Amino acid sequence: MSPEIEGDEVSERSVTQKSSGNNAVVDLRISFKRWLVKTSRNPYVTFTSLVQPVIFFVLMAEVLGAVAAGALTQAVGGNIHYVTYLTPAIMIQSALAAAAVSGIGLVDDMETGMFDKTLISPMGRGAMFVGKLLSELVRIIIQTLVILALGFGLLWMKTGGSIGSYIQTGLAGMLGIIAVTVIFAGVFMAYSNIVALVTRDREATIMIANLLTFPLLFISSAFVPLDVLPNWIQTLAIVNPITYGVDAIRALMLGQDVFSVFEITVFGGLWNTVVPAVAVLIGFLLVLGSVAVHLLNNASKTEVQ
Amino acid sequence: MTGNLQMAVQQSSPRTNRTVPTQENDLAIDADNVHVTYDDGTEAVRGVSLDVAEGEFLGFLGPNGAGKTTTIRTLVTLLYPTEGSVSINGYDTTTEPQAVRESIGYMAQETSIDLELTPRENLRIACEMYGVPSDERNERIETLLDLVDLHDVADKRAETFSGGMQKRLDTATVLVHRPPVVFLDEPTTGLDPEARLRVWDYFEKINSRGTTVFLTTQYLEEADRLCDRVAVLEDGQIIAEGTPESLKDTVGRDTLTVAFEQPTDRQKRRVIEAVRAVQTLDDATVESTPSGLAVHAPDVTRAATSVFEVLTDADVAISAFDVDSPTLDDIFLSLTGDDESAAVESEIDSTRAATQEVPR
Repeated sequence: MSPEIEGDEVSERSVTQKSSGNNAVVDLRISFKRWLVKTSRNPYVTFTSLVQPVIFFVLMAEVLGAVAAGALTQAVGGNIHYVTYLTPAIMIQSALAAAAVSGIGLVDDMETGMFDKTLISPMGRGAMFVGKLLSELVRIIIQTLVILALGFGLLWMKTGGSIGSYIQTGLAGMLGIIAVTVIFAGVFMAYSNIVALVTRDREATIMIANLLTFPLLFISSAFVPLDVLPNWIQTLAIVNPITYGVDAIRALMLGQDVFSVFEITVFGGLWNTVVPAVAVLIGFLLVLGSVAVHLLNNASKTEVQ
Repeated sequence: MTGNLQMAVQQSSPRTNRTVPTQENDLAIDADNVHVTYDDGTEAVRGVSLDVAEGEFLGFLGPNGAGKTTTIRTLVTLLYPTEGSVSINGYDTTTEPQAVRESIGYMAQETSIDLELTPRENLRIACEMYGVPSDERNERIETLLDLVDLHDVADKRAETFSGGMQKRLDTATVLVHRPPVVFLDEPTTGLDPEARLRVWDYFEKINSRGTTVFLTTQYLEEADRLCDRVAVLEDGQIIAEGTPESLKDTVGRDTLTVAFEQPTDRQKRRVIEAVRAVQTLDDATVESTPSGLAVHAPDVTRAATSVFEVLTDADVAISAFDVDSPTLDDIFLSLTGDDESAAVESEIDSTRAATQEVPR
């Protein structure tokens, strides 16, 4: 190499040195921003995962609300409107709809080679994946808040009820609702990414997500109290994460113990529902999450398969 | 603009600023007896050795399934060799993958860009991923947009682009960190002829600024036009290596066909004997064709002079003549043996190239 070129290289040295200095937080932010912008360019996806639950909300409130009053009185006491009862189910449904297609972005990245491109960049591998999940969670939290507001709107139109009667536990309860939604969404994001990593196929990821998620909603405490449902549904509801997500949020909104699958009394009041339900959700999250991480590591490892 | 251009594609120097490289030489790519065996027992690569000098443009040729993509994935640290070793820019791909990654650009067969984003946004994310300092990003992005002629559409979403434009954007995103070595995996598969010509221009430009280019392709025309040297891969092994010209010399002979105005058998016989008698053509074979004669010789220029002299002396009126030099296709077919099936495959490839113009 000629000395002149060496001279040039000295000035470039600092450039390359800095380039190796990306830390995990920076990588996380890059990936987070990338997915957030990508999602915002596809408003159709956000729109549908919000609109479907909203249509459901209005229809269910009108149709089931007309007949559910009796069952509701029997299950949770007399003064609770069906709209308030239904809101947690719709929040869970919307989180489910968004989380269950989380794997699509991953499959797309694999199909277009973006996945490999990121693997051979100096980006941290964990950071790039977590950034994607965070951007999806942001979307899910926004959807949850929109539905919470919509539920109050519906209730107010029907009964003129106050916000205090809508969310019994107030602001702390609202934060709790968001936390439960995030944990619940994590379970189905892991599930969707497992499907994506196993099938490596966009259509299959969407199909399997839709196939499973819709029936799951009905085999749970989402729409009517479990007590009035057939025994086989009550049994299946015990292994359905949706039951736990809905019960936890419902307990936070109603401020009372509404746990529909087990009778637990050690924590007192609404905590008899929230603590065990969240514990079960975290269990689901840990199991499915570690399977997903394992599969992801396999997909990105450099030893030949 | 030329000054900027130079800056963008000029080699950076990954060697001067990190841990001491494992070997000190001027090889950009140094693969030594690389084997890659998949878990199911498939031996995709069986003993490939490659030396690519800095600034060289190497073409890696082979039919589908020859192991080209496995080889390139091994070179860019996406796979570790089962046996043998690879060093890129002096860094070992197994022990120093991070250093290798920072000193290379890799363009996959698929077009790896975010279609929802604009070229400027795609390039910005690439800059961020490679940690290009923020005060240099804008300049590099503008320079690269110039390089691939996407300035006019820099703020339009890439999903509206043609396949060729998307591939050009992909090329630019691979260059943001000024890698001294660039790997291109079948970059022109599926592009229409015009887009292909344009992309070739950019590859030549990149290489002419000193960047080493490793290109895999199924198109011999592409290798012939771009590459300093080609290696032909079949069944995971390199079966030939050399400049496009030297490969042609080993297999190919030029062919001169001459058509007569009145090709009678007597006249042809007479002339062919006279041509065969020419001393300077002792390597040549001469045969009769329906319209005249054909001469196969290593050097068509010398042959042509002699043949035309003989024909003039014999008072033969020439209606047409044609010179045909062997293409890399001919070489490829003769190297990979099974001529017939290879010919069919190459025909399928060209049909596919013609029908794949539709942008995705």
